[in-house]
Amino acid sequence: MTCWGKLGPVTPLIKSLLLLCLSIASMAMLPGCNNRSESEEAAPPATVYRHSMDGAPSSLDPAQASSIYANFLAVNLYDTLYRYKYLARPYELEPNLADGLPEVSADGLIYTMHLKPGVHFIDDPAFPEGRGRAVRAEDFVYSIKRQFDPATRAQGAWLWQGRIVGLDEWKENGSDYQQEVPGLKALDDRTLQIQLVSPFPQLTHTLTQGFSAVVPREAVDHYGQEFAIHPVGSGPYRLQTFNSASAVLVRNSRFRQEPFSLSAEGFDAVSQGHLGLEQLEGKAPPLMDRIEIEFVAEDAARWNSFIAGELDFIKVPVSQFDQVLENRDPPDLNATLAENYHLIANLESGFVHTDFNMDDPRIGYHPDPDRNTRNHALRCAIIEAFDWRKRNEIFYYGIGYVFDGIIPPAAPEFDLQKHHVPVARDLEKARNLLSDHGWNAENLPVIEYGFTSSVTERQMFEQLRSFLGEIGYPQEKVKPLTFATYGDYARAYLNREVMLMTIGWTMDYPDAENTVQLFYGPNASPGSNTANYNNSRFNQLYRESSGMQPSAGRTAIYREMNQIVIDDCATISGVSRRLILLWNRDLAALPDRSFVGGFFFRFVAPRGQSGAAQAAE
Amino acid sequence: MRYALSKLAHGLFLVLGVTLISFILMVWFGPDQTYTLIGKNANPQQIAEVRHELGYDQPFARRYVDYVAQLFTLNLGASNSSGEPVSRILKRTVPITLALMLPGFILGNLLGIALGLTAAQHRGRWTDHLINGFSVTGMSLSFLVIIILLQVLLSTPYGLNLFPVRGWQVDDPGSYLKYVTVPTLSLILVTLGYNTRFYRAVFVDESGKDHIRTARACGASTATILWKHVLKNSLVPVLTRIMFSIPLIVISGSLLLESYFGIPGIGKATFDAITSGDQPVLKAVVGLTAVAFVLIQILTDLLYRLVDPRIS
Repeated sequence: MTCWGKLGPVTPLIKSLLLLCLSIASMAMLPGCNNRSESEEAAPPATVYRHSMDGAPSSLDPAQASSIYANFLAVNLYDTLYRYKYLARPYELEPNLADGLPEVSADGLIYTMHLKPGVHFIDDPAFPEGRGRAVRAEDFVYSIKRQFDPATRAQGAWLWQGRIVGLDEWKENGSDYQQEVPGLKALDDRTLQIQLVSPFPQLTHTLTQGFSAVVPREAVDHYGQEFAIHPVGSGPYRLQTFNSASAVLVRNSRFRQEPFSLSAEGFDAVSQGHLGLEQLEGKAPPLMDRIEIEFVAEDAARWNSFIAGELDFIKVPVSQFDQVLENRDPPDLNATLAENYHLIANLESGFVHTDFNMDDPRIGYHPDPDRNTRNHALRCAIIEAFDWRKRNEIFYYGIGYVFDGIIPPAAPEFDLQKHHVPVARDLEKARNLLSDHGWNAENLPVIEYGFTSSVTERQMFEQLRSFLGEIGYPQEKVKPLTFATYGDYARAYLNREVMLMTIGWTMDYPDAENTVQLFYGPNASPGSNTANYNNSRFNQLYRESSGMQPSAGRTAIYREMNQIVIDDCATISGVSRRLILLWNRDLAALPDRSFVGGFFFRFVAPRGQSGAAQAAE
Repeated sequence: MRYALSKLAHGLFLVLGVTLISFILMVWFGPDQTYTLIGKNANPQQIAEVRHELGYDQPFARRYVDYVAQLFTLNLGASNSSGEPVSRILKRTVPITLALMLPGFILGNLLGIALGLTAAQHRGRWTDHLINGFSVTGMSLSFLVIIILLQVLLSTPYGLNLFPVRGWQVDDPGSYLKYVTVPTLSLILVTLGYNTRFYRAVFVDESGKDHIRTARACGASTATILWKHVLKNSLVPVLTRIMFSIPLIVISGSLLLESYFGIPGIGKATFDAITSGDQPVLKAVVGLTAVAFVLIQILTDLLYRLVDPRIS
């Protein structure tokens, strides 16, 4: 026995330490505990909708609304001229800030639009006496010009580049805001006119984008670079707080009063009758006092928070599909969750495809016609070896929509008849293609597959390697090319340094033009044609169709273009992922992650009395 | 004073060295924000414009001199992503990280010291084995697993549902306790094993020394031996461990805690800056961490002299 034998004397020591620690801990909380109080209003809001996103915007400037997260906020804080009808599927355009659809000249070159009267920006110190002024057509002109001003670091100029008369020249001449752009005019305070270089039927769709939102010049000048975190718009909500973890929006009390109309928004009683949307009839959005948006990239945390009742909406992580779904086809919510939540299983408005870098002579175009033919056979063999069923099963829970080509199901031009047969691999054909064209284990080129470093991406690469192994591709000849961040990856593939790359494309508007342009030769890297595909017939058809209004003829052209890419084996495509969205049954809502996107926030309402009943009271 | 000034002078060179190396790493190997900022269908001219706006086209030496000047004048520029001044980002996020991390840091160290003392006191006996076993288990568990487990156990209907899963809506001591408890428990669980093992080794080493045997022979009580002889004489390694953890807590924060608990602290801001290539934020965090390390080193050296007069 030693003098250490008794535990007793240690207890006072522990007590003292604990007391000390508690005191320090209480002091520690003081500096960090007041982050909300500065900008909070005194009265707590009556109704709150708590939304979750699996990523966060870094800027709230519409000029930088390139991500779905930034766009969600932009269209709520600001006004766009147009939006999509809340409930109509397929998606249909609807005037938003504009007072009707555009008047288009017979040649399709001049668009005239009128703004609704009485629309005001929110009150803000940027304005004289802090009072938000009326929104004018000139504000729209200014907002589009900003997209072309390099100082803005805008990301939306590509929508109108080479489209509007004089706009590109305005930029080349130094982006002087005093200088007028001939094709972009405010005829008066409420009338806008856009003159196009050539017909661009998708123009109205581009005016639904957050990029086209109307910003007041006073606020941009007043806040300078910090305008990105001081939004001053005329949208249904205004910003209360914003940081990397959450954003809080509160109702814009000056938002125009426009009674909701079920029929105008495209309500379908059969498919939407159970959502409680009838009660919205006659009410004027926005219908919630407060929107709390949580940015939660971590699937487990997002799911736990939703299950704990801290969130009203979630895009269910794939890892939770087993827990959530009773059946896969059609996706059906399990009984326990169905008591509290609604489910919708939407296909994403885009697709995932793996492109060959056609600019790489090892696998793409080759000056030697013989090698060019062999490369074509090699690409086709790889496509035939790709097992979409397994890819879908393992990474998309088997509920993704696999299709052939570059026109995804979300596009109205998607050929449902042609694609009703599941895409199947043909190993025998793949092996024959290789052997018939003189490829063997010794002379097959090394394939470098690029991806951003993550477990899932690595697994996808390993799966691809195993697919290729089945047609005799040596494992050591299929190599990973990893990048630490998406920015590094993008730099590499936009500089044509990646041989095989997987790209997820989210459509900007429901028109297949937005996906066929991905393979238009002049759009090659650093443009969006990351495959650097260049087929003269395809390019000719793209130019032919670019000025055409939606029609059977244009659809036929798109489908021919689709077939050309398939025949050229330029891409392993594709799958549209199915998104499982859950939301609280206490809400009357139809959430959307597609073209309606953030516009749906204004229509979310607590489930209760109908507008008519409230009016009667 | 002369000692402190001499240390400070050495520290300046250290800061310059650290900032130079980190700047080289950031510029040549760090993420390039150009390609996240360009829009779709960008052409080479637009890429060049973005690079110019970001200052990437400036000569390396000029960029480095600007960086050091920013650091010494504390004019840290503005975030490339949000336009918010970096100093304001730090002012907004560092206090939150402090409030989040300090309780767990302090409790983790104090409990580690207490358990280390207890284990050393009972060296080789079941109490020691139990504490060691607990420590190794804690060290073996992934931080991520602990966070998710505690979230499920304490914050969801699958468990006790006592605390919020995530968020930081702190207005008063009550709400602070509500939001800080689960992250603090996670931090304690993950650090306690390492702390206990470290402190136990220090105390066991100290308790085997001659002066302890002498004190024991003189009939000193266990409390006196622990407080006056073991703990006091072990303060140099204890201080070293605690002091050098502080800059990481204050500046870098805890990315996992802040991400999983939805807390807008400096850890998350730093991670976002790394992934997006927001160099102004990144440069500020790296530079200030280097400065903090130098200051802590000076302070630690001064404290050494206080706790051990033999150090001159």
